[in-house]
Amino acid sequence: MELVLAILITVVGASTPILIAALGELVVERSGVLNLGVEGMMLIGAIAGFVVQFHTGNPYLALLCGAAAGMAASLIFGFLTLSLSANQTATGLALTIFGTGFSALAGSSYSARPVTLMQPLFPAEFYSSPIIRVIFGYSFPVYFSFVMVVAIWYFLHKTRAGLILRAVGENDQSAHSIGYSVIGVRYLAVMFGGAMAGIAGACFPLLLTPQWAERMTAGRGWIAVALVVFASWKPFRLLGGAYLFGLVMTMELYAKAGGGPLSAVPSELWAALPYIATVVVLVLISIRRDASTNAPACLGKPFLPAN
Amino acid sequence: MQFRLEKRREPSKAMIYITPVVAVVLTMVVGALIFSLIGYDGIGAVREIFLTPLTNSYKWQDLGIKAAPLIIIGTGLSIAYRANVWNIGAEGQYVIGGLAGTGIALLTYGMTGWWILPLMVLAGILGGMAYAAIPALLRTRLKVNEILTSLMLTYASVQLIYYLIRAPWKDPMGMGFPQTRLFSEAARLPTIIPGTIVHLGVPIAIVVGIIAWFIMTRSVFGYRMRVVGAAPHAARYGGFSENKTIWLAMLVSGALAGLAGVLEVAGPFQRMVPGFPTNYGFTAIIVAFLGRLNPLGVIVAGVVLAITFVGGEVAQTTIGLPNAATGIFQAMMLFFLLAGDILIKYRLRRVAPQPSVGAA
Amino acid sequence: MTLSRRTFVKVGGAALALPLLGSRAFAQLEKVKIGFIYVGSINDNGYNYAHNQGRLYVEEQLGDKVETVFVENVPEGPDCERVLRELAQQGCNLIFATSFGFGDSVVKVAAQFPDIAFEHATGYMNGPNIGLYNARFYEGRAVCGTIAGHMSKTAKAGYIGSFPIPEVVMGINSFVLAARKVNPEFTIKPVYISTWNDPAKEADAARAMIDQGIDIIAQHTDGPAALQVAAERGIVGGFGQGADMSAFAPDTQLTAIIDHWGPHYLASAEAVLAGTWTPGNTWEGLKENVVQMGPYGEKVPEDVRAAADAVKNGQIDGSFHIFTGPIKDNTGTERVAAGVTMTDAELLSMDWYVEGVEQPA
Repeated sequence: MELVLAILITVVGASTPILIAALGELVVERSGVLNLGVEGMMLIGAIAGFVVQFHTGNPYLALLCGAAAGMAASLIFGFLTLSLSANQTATGLALTIFGTGFSALAGSSYSARPVTLMQPLFPAEFYSSPIIRVIFGYSFPVYFSFVMVVAIWYFLHKTRAGLILRAVGENDQSAHSIGYSVIGVRYLAVMFGGAMAGIAGACFPLLLTPQWAERMTAGRGWIAVALVVFASWKPFRLLGGAYLFGLVMTMELYAKAGGGPLSAVPSELWAALPYIATVVVLVLISIRRDASTNAPACLGKPFLPAN
Repeated sequence: MQFRLEKRREPSKAMIYITPVVAVVLTMVVGALIFSLIGYDGIGAVREIFLTPLTNSYKWQDLGIKAAPLIIIGTGLSIAYRANVWNIGAEGQYVIGGLAGTGIALLTYGMTGWWILPLMVLAGILGGMAYAAIPALLRTRLKVNEILTSLMLTYASVQLIYYLIRAPWKDPMGMGFPQTRLFSEAARLPTIIPGTIVHLGVPIAIVVGIIAWFIMTRSVFGYRMRVVGAAPHAARYGGFSENKTIWLAMLVSGALAGLAGVLEVAGPFQRMVPGFPTNYGFTAIIVAFLGRLNPLGVIVAGVVLAITFVGGEVAQTTIGLPNAATGIFQAMMLFFLLAGDILIKYRLRRVAPQPSVGAA
Repeated sequence: MTLSRRTFVKVGGAALALPLLGSRAFAQLEKVKIGFIYVGSINDNGYNYAHNQGRLYVEEQLGDKVETVFVENVPEGPDCERVLRELAQQGCNLIFATSFGFGDSVVKVAAQFPDIAFEHATGYMNGPNIGLYNARFYEGRAVCGTIAGHMSKTAKAGYIGSFPIPEVVMGINSFVLAARKVNPEFTIKPVYISTWNDPAKEADAARAMIDQGIDIIAQHTDGPAALQVAAERGIVGGFGQGADMSAFAPDTQLTAIIDHWGPHYLASAEAVLAGTWTPGNTWEGLKENVVQMGPYGEKVPEDVRAAADAVKNGQIDGSFHIFTGPIKDNTGTERVAAGVTMTDAELLSMDWYVEGVEQPA
């Protein structure tokens, strides 16, 4: 029992950054834009968060600056793909290359320097017993990620603005013809995605491992991209998917450390599992031909008004 | 005074050729400025990254070897992208091509014979094709977005390397290190100029580019690809099946990525190692765009990218520029190029100041 | 100063060769230019950082008699080959390739530049102008294991490895052999994470092991992530790897194994300056100061320090070797007879675990 709770706590840590980044990307993709620069924006958010935490020791400021840095990076993407209708795939890849290089350069003087981890949100009296600790023992970003799942779901399905955003993603031409600013909506979505990726990146030094290391997100930005697809663009499925992916990533280590039948599964299979599962899910939702589970119709296509 | 964009009737031919050059020049100027501002030798950085690799004849070999896989993969991608088929999993197809070739090399270990190398190449091509067939099948049968599936499969393929070289294919004499044994002589790609390191893959890359250019501009296949990409509706009226085009585009780009993989493993590597995937498949996407999705342009673009890689290393040793700078230069170049794309379809018009409608 | 000449010198004897070859063969260099290639970033806080410290050490010691250049983040394979050639053409007299995976490239490029001295770290393929060098990290592991044996309350340690290569296997075995000399019940659980540098994964692996009862952690990956988790969880302690990592976990680091490549790099540089460099195969450790132990953590009690010092000093004066039999493997079969010490060749190809190591998947 103790072990199960301990595993849960580790799973929460592993899942939170990919959930936050994927939530941002979900909104971006719902508006019809595919930004493959998540990994790059996360790295920029990670170094920004680290530097601020190192100099101020204020983790909330660090998260905020991570968000701002991610958003700034996303504006490069937004300007090229939205204002100049450049190819989204290529621009996203370029953004990842840029983010990797930029963060390494900015972080080069911060090696061998630890920071302090972000403290849990609730005072320690709250979670004296292990069971309560599983619920109340985390720092702010974990609760933030849960709130954002609900908020994004509410926004997309219960608000007018959310309806407009989905309309822009499903049929940009008609959204345009009834007078909505397709480009404006997409700009906002891309900036939101950038901010979320930045926060997700800042979680690495603040939550997981309080140091700066080059490329420290180690491909989790791509897992976030996979996750959005895996969740078929739905916030609650995203929550489930993020925790499933987090569980897979974590169980490998627990199985190896603890022995037992699971420890015989090759680690390469564990590592490939999230990606294979995503392809399988894509196939399954396509076989069901449930229109509501399909990708936003305009995903990845530049918008050019047909006037 | 204000500017606005105005759609051109015809895409500008001139801009297609001018914008990549402008992008490279702008990268040099802005890069020099930025790196000077943050305390490095900015002008030196540009000189070392973009010019030094060209001034040394010994470096030309390096450029050829680095550019060859980029050109081969980039050519395939340019064909697919022309048809609006977004295969971004070339890295995975490259890996599977390399693994297929490795499989043959290990099966024939210790044997001699002229047939081994062609068999490896064939296996590599088929391997790349087969791996590209998965997204093609899912796209044509189930309308699953090929961008997403081909990307996911790339990550799975890398794990397959790790598994194979750690367990079944591990070099028995390799002190336990995760890598295969060195291929025997018959499974290695020969060098074409004695005394140099230029292997057969380099001329193959150029030939592939030229043939692809010829096919794309002079054949029904090329016409079909271009029509489907530029005007899908018209293509349907013309009797070109969209599904067939997707299949062709995916298989051709997968085959070329697989070819690059097998040439790389049989040439410079001569065994399969964990470091085999070096992002050629992703870099080739940049190459395809920088080359304007034109096979001849891809040859030039492949060399330009190779220059920045080789030059980036030169700059580290000569002026102490960190490795990260290379990535920043490459990203900047692509940003400028993509920004310039707009000028192909639109022109910049000066308009009198008035309440304007938003550009584009 | 070609290599064939140098070999000839070695075979024929310097006295005979010198007049024949003139001043060129043994010309002492005024200044040596040294190239270093690193597989990762010099800011990794671990392995590559330590090699770069070695480079800086040579610069400091030799002053204006040396010029060094380095290239970081070099992928193994053709890119490495190119960088090696680049360094060779820039006039380096001595080139250090600091990662195992650079081996093939070193062999190829060294053949093209017979005048240049190459040295390859942790590899096994030598050549007429390729020297091999490595450090006896296992000696440091034995010191760490001694401390772990004394201090662990659960008699269980975790060990995060990258890949099951002999280098890593040897370290695990040394650690557990030393710990079991103190506490025969001691066991160790290795977890391989298939990467050298993914700090978040290292941290999660550490959490997974701590949650399953280990209270001491060691790692053979590049960064301080595992040590930081040990501090976060408040277990007995952990060890720095590659460099002194006490900055990351001041109360938790019990000691550190410090790669101190400087003395080796200096010796090679001086040999090249003097014209006496030959392709060696050095495997140096605590005695030669190539492996150093970091300061003991505050919570290490006096008697444990004394025991650890004894193991350390025994290895320095040669009276103690951790791989001296009897040694059983983890299936109970005796692999090394009593009183027999394993040879270097046996150590460098070690692919089995000693008693007390839970067999990893």
